[in-house]
Amino acid sequence: MLELFVAMKHIRTRKRQTVLAVGAVGLAVAIIIVFRSLMNGSFETFFDIFFELAPHVLVLPKEGEEYIYLYKTLIEFIWAIPGVAAVSPALSTTATLSFEDNVENVDMTGVVPAELNKVTSIGDKYMIEGDLYAIQSGRRVALGDKMIEKLEVQMGEDVVASFPDANTMNLVVAGVFRTGVEEWDQAAFVSLETAQEFLGDGDVITYINIQIEDPYQADEVAAEISALGYDAESWRTMFPQFEESLAFETFSNNLILVLVLLIASFGIANVMNMLVLEKTREVGMLMAMGTNQSQIRRIFLIESGILGLAGGIFGTAFGYLVSAYFNSLQYTVNAPTAPQPIVIKFLVDPFDLIAFSLLALILSMIAGVYPAHKASKLDPVVALRG
Amino acid sequence: MSKIIEIKKLRKVYGDGVELVALDDVDLTIEEGEVLSIVGPSGSGKSTLLNMIGLLDTPSNGEIWLKGQNISKASSKERARLRNKELGFIFQYHHLLPEFSAVENVMMPLLIAGVEKKEARHRAITLLEEVGLGDQLNNKPNQLSGGQNQRVAVARALAGHPSIVIGDEPTGNLDSKSSDMIYELLRKLNREMNQTFILVTHDMDMAEKTDRILRLVDGKIVCEMLRDGDKFVTRDLCKLDK
Ligand SMILES: Nc1ncnc2c1ncn2[C@@H]1O[C@H](COP(=O)(O)OP(=O)(O)O)[C@@H](O)[C@H]1O
Ligand SMILES: [Mg+2]
Repeated sequence: MLELFVAMKHIRTRKRQTVLAVGAVGLAVAIIIVFRSLMNGSFETFFDIFFELAPHVLVLPKEGEEYIYLYKTLIEFIWAIPGVAAVSPALSTTATLSFEDNVENVDMTGVVPAELNKVTSIGDKYMIEGDLYAIQSGRRVALGDKMIEKLEVQMGEDVVASFPDANTMNLVVAGVFRTGVEEWDQAAFVSLETAQEFLGDGDVITYINIQIEDPYQADEVAAEISALGYDAESWRTMFPQFEESLAFETFSNNLILVLVLLIASFGIANVMNMLVLEKTREVGMLMAMGTNQSQIRRIFLIESGILGLAGGIFGTAFGYLVSAYFNSLQYTVNAPTAPQPIVIKFLVDPFDLIAFSLLALILSMIAGVYPAHKASKLDPVVALRG
Repeated sequence: MSKIIEIKKLRKVYGDGVELVALDDVDLTIEEGEVLSIVGPSGSGKSTLLNMIGLLDTPSNGEIWLKGQNISKASSKERARLRNKELGFIFQYHHLLPEFSAVENVMMPLLIAGVEKKEARHRAITLLEEVGLGDQLNNKPNQLSGGQNQRVAVARALAGHPSIVIGDEPTGNLDSKSSDMIYELLRKLNREMNQTFILVTHDMDMAEKTDRILRLVDGKIVCEMLRDGDKFVTRDLCKLDK
């Protein structure tokens, strides 16, 4: 093909301009890939932190009822929904805990430790002393470290739990946890049976937390449970701001990145303009030999397209390598409330590699439209005169 | 012999404010296989006339017929097609594409016509051998001398088997030895392929080797001389005072 033949010849012989154009686009694309991988990484970290303590779906009692009564059947039903990863029943109540002269009201929740751990990681990640699973055997309690401080109690010592209408009982402190979230660190966990005994309202629970393999399936799971008459809500309806702020963040970041690419395409436009100026006589000769206007236009369009695509491919490859390298550094930042430093992740979305190569191609071709048009409109007689 | 070009009352006027008549009602008929030379002072309209015949420029008035087709008002695309199919150009400056080797430059008109690369290459090599550059096929213009580049340009002009070859001072930049060589080349090809040649030249030695000499002054053909054996006979329209 004539157009490709001429365009490739220019690209191969004008090395300096080629390096300049491909370099400008490549650098812009590489910057974009690295920034987007950082963005993806932060979102994932943000998601992880958020859902460490928050459920994907929360199930509350039927309208007008105080408890979920037939919870064992309901749990079986929920487990049967595909993609469900954890089902954590809870009976929450308020209790007054006292140790020696210290008296504190706490949110005391009866849980199944293994399921609670799947939903919140309290069982392993946040335990700083003892064992959450120990509450399963008898009258034992796991307390947040803030509550431990307030009660001035230690592992292995007894606290007294009481409340009006409840059955007063002694609980041995079997574990201490610290999540970094104030509310949680003042809470108490006992076994489901212990909580039911304390309340004396029978074999009931107040809510169920559900974790799903793909958080974006939460709406569907919630809908299936709601169909049974329970009040089931997904995280997406509970925290709509969460996704809104992510969407806004994504939009504003992408806008900046596309501007970066736009500036790089001006580099291509500039190189192409110079090329057309420099090639005026040759365009005249090509015309004299019978090249028509559309063919001339295509030569320059193809040329800027190839430069853009080359920049895109080079840029995505380079950006991918830089992202992978940064990711391997496991760079961390410390947040005052976080119990552990947060690792900065750089996650490249394979879709980005294709999308931004193509965007580089398209923007470069657009950048080539005007120079190509100008070349095609040259008067051969004037062009040949130089 | 049949008419290949017929020019009727051809007029070209430049400028909008001050009008400059570059061609003033020129009538001219060119026969197939003719070798014609156009001479005249600088600025007399020789290049303008060639550019009209070569479909590089459009007339202000009048008609040009090429092989019985009125091309004065042809579209830009049609004119490009005809330039490729019917015409070969040789300019004073070789106008070779600097990035391309000699053989690639000669291939170019064929590639534009849509001929296969392999076939175009084959034809280009044959032509370059014919102009004596069989050993310089892969050299680029900056690796060849002025005379060699002009010979590449001749080969290129002939590549697409054009029926008309136009030369606007094709030897203007060359020494007399190279000039003679180029002319002999053209003449030989003319005898072999019966192509029509229209050459603008300042070199009267060369003009006198052609079949017909036109003298252009101020956009008018003022004198026409025809070969008769070894001599030229002057047609009655010759105004000798010019
Ligand atoms: N594009 C143009 N614009 C204005 N005037 C032109 C243009 N081309 C040629 N001319 C004028 O037309 C006249 C004929 O020019 P040209 O055909 O180039 O002469 P020659 O080739 O015989 O030297 C000259 O006076 C020249 O200045
Ligand atoms: Mg001239």
